[in-house]
Amino acid sequence: MSSKRHSILPSASQSGPKPPVHLSSSLTIADSAVLTGTHQITVHGESVIHPRARLDSHAGRVTIGRRCVVHERATIGSSSSGLASARSSAVLSSARSSMASPGVLSPTAAVAGSGGEAASQSTTAQAVTLGDYVTVEVGAVIEAGGTVVGDGTVVGVGARVGAGAVLGKRDLRHENHCTLTPQSAVPPGDVVPDFTVVYANGMRRTDRRGMVELKNKGLARQIEVLRRLIPSNPAKFA
Amino acid sequence: MATAFTPYSYIQCPCSDITPTDRRSGGSPTTPEPDDDDRAFDPRAPRSSFSLYPLEYLMYCEDCHQIRCPRCVAEEIVTYYCPNCLFECPVCVGPLAVTSVETKPDPNLLAAPDNSAAPLAGPYALTCSYCLWTSTEVGIQFDKPNGIHAQLAKLRNGGTTRLTAKERKERRKDPSYKAQPPPPDSQDLDHEAQFANLKAFYQGQLADPNTADAGLALLGDLGFSSPTSLSRIMSIYTGGSLLHDKKAKTRLGAMREALDPDEGLLVASLDESAAISKLRSEGLDGTASTAQLVGQPPNMVEPPLHGNERFLDTLRPVPHLLRTKRSKRCPVCRHIISKPESKVQTTRFRIRLVAGSYIPSISIRQLALSSGTGSGTSASGPAVPGAPLEPLKPAHFLLTFKNPIFETIKVTLGAPATTPGRFASRVTVLCPEFEVDANTDVWDEALKNNAERDRELRRRRGESVSANSGGISSANQLEVGKIWERGRNWVSIVVEVVPASLALAPGNPPLREDEDVLEIPMFVRVEWEAEMAGDEVGAAPSRSNSEAREKRELAYWCVLGVGRIRQR
Amino acid sequence: MSSRRAPRGEYIETDTGNKVARKATLVGTQHIMLGGKTVIQPDAMIRGDLVRTIHPSSQSGGNAAPQNNTAISIGRYCFLSRNCCLRPPGRFYKGAFTYMPLRMGDHVFVGPGAVVQAASVGSHVHIGAGCVIGEFAIIKDYVRILDGTVVPPNMVIPSFSIVAGQPARVIGEVPEGGHEAFELRDLYKTVGNNPQPAPH
Repeated sequence: MSSKRHSILPSASQSGPKPPVHLSSSLTIADSAVLTGTHQITVHGESVIHPRARLDSHAGRVTIGRRCVVHERATIGSSSSGLASARSSAVLSSARSSMASPGVLSPTAAVAGSGGEAASQSTTAQAVTLGDYVTVEVGAVIEAGGTVVGDGTVVGVGARVGAGAVLGKRDLRHENHCTLTPQSAVPPGDVVPDFTVVYANGMRRTDRRGMVELKNKGLARQIEVLRRLIPSNPAKFA
Repeated sequence: MATAFTPYSYIQCPCSDITPTDRRSGGSPTTPEPDDDDRAFDPRAPRSSFSLYPLEYLMYCEDCHQIRCPRCVAEEIVTYYCPNCLFECPVCVGPLAVTSVETKPDPNLLAAPDNSAAPLAGPYALTCSYCLWTSTEVGIQFDKPNGIHAQLAKLRNGGTTRLTAKERKERRKDPSYKAQPPPPDSQDLDHEAQFANLKAFYQGQLADPNTADAGLALLGDLGFSSPTSLSRIMSIYTGGSLLHDKKAKTRLGAMREALDPDEGLLVASLDESAAISKLRSEGLDGTASTAQLVGQPPNMVEPPLHGNERFLDTLRPVPHLLRTKRSKRCPVCRHIISKPESKVQTTRFRIRLVAGSYIPSISIRQLALSSGTGSGTSASGPAVPGAPLEPLKPAHFLLTFKNPIFETIKVTLGAPATTPGRFASRVTVLCPEFEVDANTDVWDEALKNNAERDRELRRRRGESVSANSGGISSANQLEVGKIWERGRNWVSIVVEVVPASLALAPGNPPLREDEDVLEIPMFVRVEWEAEMAGDEVGAAPSRSNSEAREKRELAYWCVLGVGRIRQR
Repeated sequence: MSSRRAPRGEYIETDTGNKVARKATLVGTQHIMLGGKTVIQPDAMIRGDLVRTIHPSSQSGGNAAPQNNTAISIGRYCFLSRNCCLRPPGRFYKGAFTYMPLRMGDHVFVGPGAVVQAASVGSHVHIGAGCVIGEFAIIKDYVRILDGTVVPPNMVIPSFSIVAGQPARVIGEVPEGGHEAFELRDLYKTVGNNPQPAPH
């Protein structure tokens, strides 16, 4: 199924440098996805990157876990402008100091731990990490800056995750399952507990459906379908 | 004031103006009233907010030849319908859907790839697709995925069963239940049950002639606490069918009051320690917001609460409100002025007399002039729309009147020289009198050839109403008495305003909300000639020779919101 | 969707009067149906590639006609503003995941940046800027959705409703005199390769 012939796809703004990538062979990535930046971009197995999704590693490395779905026009690792990044890093540092309570890892340590290899301080501090089974819907933005999106989280249409925000407890990385409803936002540096639902202009509640298994299975089936529908060419980005 | 301002025009419905009827009905007023014509309409008067409407909201009565607004028309329900099945989320008002509750994952099933062939296996719950609230949070699950309403009516929060009204009635008749000792407390009573019990109790009292209580015999003559007083009170609220019950008057004996929950007695629960300890354990997150509590259906609340519900786990799914299709009648002549088709699926109307097809619409656009001093300057293009107006600097606004009727109309405008209120801006309507050509069929216009249209256009521009034909001016000149621009069925004129300064003298109260908006009250009078409608009886019987054409006029106040004045 | 009359110009104008911006992103055009006289502005995106993968073949006896596999159908005089996105909704059908078609009537205005994943949008519907229409929402005729509204999945919005908020709720009724404001014929004329000024 050659969809290229059957599409009007004006050339995307593939500006900037081609980043070093580490893409799983079982990945589904649309031809018109945009990968840009200077740091490493890693996408793990069976994830799906829709057309016109944007992975940006200008600020720091971008890591996407297994069975994630990144919808069209979503931006992961958006580098904020100078002023904004200064502000967000200030927030980040304040968040870090507030997290110095016992029993909680600091974000830097956690990201470095999940990143694996030793990297420069700025790379890890400005990284974006998505766990497994994460869905990032149309036009959502996940800012760079030590941002962690935990397993099973759904970032709704047009939602915004601020720099350095952490969705879900990072030390228990298999049951985070936060939900950001469309057009909602998590401020920079905020730490959101597991199973939090952010809705209606910033209200928060806890998801008590207990449907983790069903949700993950559903996402796996959606990915099966998307692998058939979206022609993938990971080699293009290598 | 960063937000851009969108100009608006609101029209006053005549129903709010009570002065003409006063004058007509009353005899001779003792104090000479100020002449009505001299009194400018004040859009900021408290009453005005209830009489001003955008044109789209107004109707028009063809028999009274008058504007009608949503407040003065009489509505009749044509049909009720359910816009959506099931329930709304009690937490966020999103729609609830039936989902199956996840059962403990079976490792064997997980291994099989197509195990979810039957994903809809019970039990089921109502789940919000937006905030992910689920009815299991209040302990409600369903055995079947259909008939949710009936299932929910039998379930309490927490999953205990609740008797429906019918079951309660049957239980009361059941002799085996009567034999049982009454329940120790009134936990069983919710609103519906209590009402049913009370009703049954008092009906029993009314029917039983031997209820005279000796202890209250002294008060018996006053009819206090007696069947008589009950029927008297009931008749006040139910329309008086009991009032003429002769038999009731003879029974003056007092009734006793309900004594136990079965008779509808509900002891107020004043012990709040449970609520306090719950608040301590669950915190503020466990409480319901005022909006959530107000949204609850009143007859479905949990039994012991009765208006004291405070926690999220007392919330219940909210049934969707029904929608209606309504027809509207003129309040004066009772003719129908709007009637939708009764079928729910269709959006057509049988009758739809909207004001927009009878009176001219007014659109407002600011003009940017090359030099903002008075007349004789030419336009240099549109101003930044929505930008605040500079105080004491003349600004010009283009008012475009579009004629919806198939007759040429003569429009006369009147506006006070200064706007009412604390900040008096000066207003000058440069062309207060003009004609707007008739609305034509779009096809007529399209078929007309271009040359003819051009000639006509030139003719129209030449013949402005005040007719100073001497100066052959090009179009779009800012001149007193001249139309700015003219089209098929529209005319644009210019209004000059000099916004007042919003500087307040010390000691004056601060600016009220939207007091910086420059609102121009304007009296619009529309005159046209119409063919006499044959069936009109009482329209104009005195007028002679009304065979062919009839003069009509309509006059009303409107308010033009043109912009915000810049604040220092 | 084929004939290209003007060699250059911001829009491709088709035989049926559709005006599709060259800078619009249409994925899977063979699954997108345009009714005619519809405007698709630059940077609008339509996901026609997300087609239905499961068909209710049980009734039609095995091989149902797969040729009519429209993912998104759009009526006449629709106006898709810049940066909006139309996307078929997806759900589970008999245990498997499938996308379902998105149907849109006539005179539908989709505001800038709006994302629509509805099952059906009626005729004479105004969707404001930045709105998000959740999956399988059903929007009936003559509905006005104010800017920034988030319509939750599965919501049904009855005719003549004005909705707003996050999540959306009905905040008013479209008045009888407000029907004509949904007409998009005049707006259609104001865009294209030789646009006409808006009438008064």
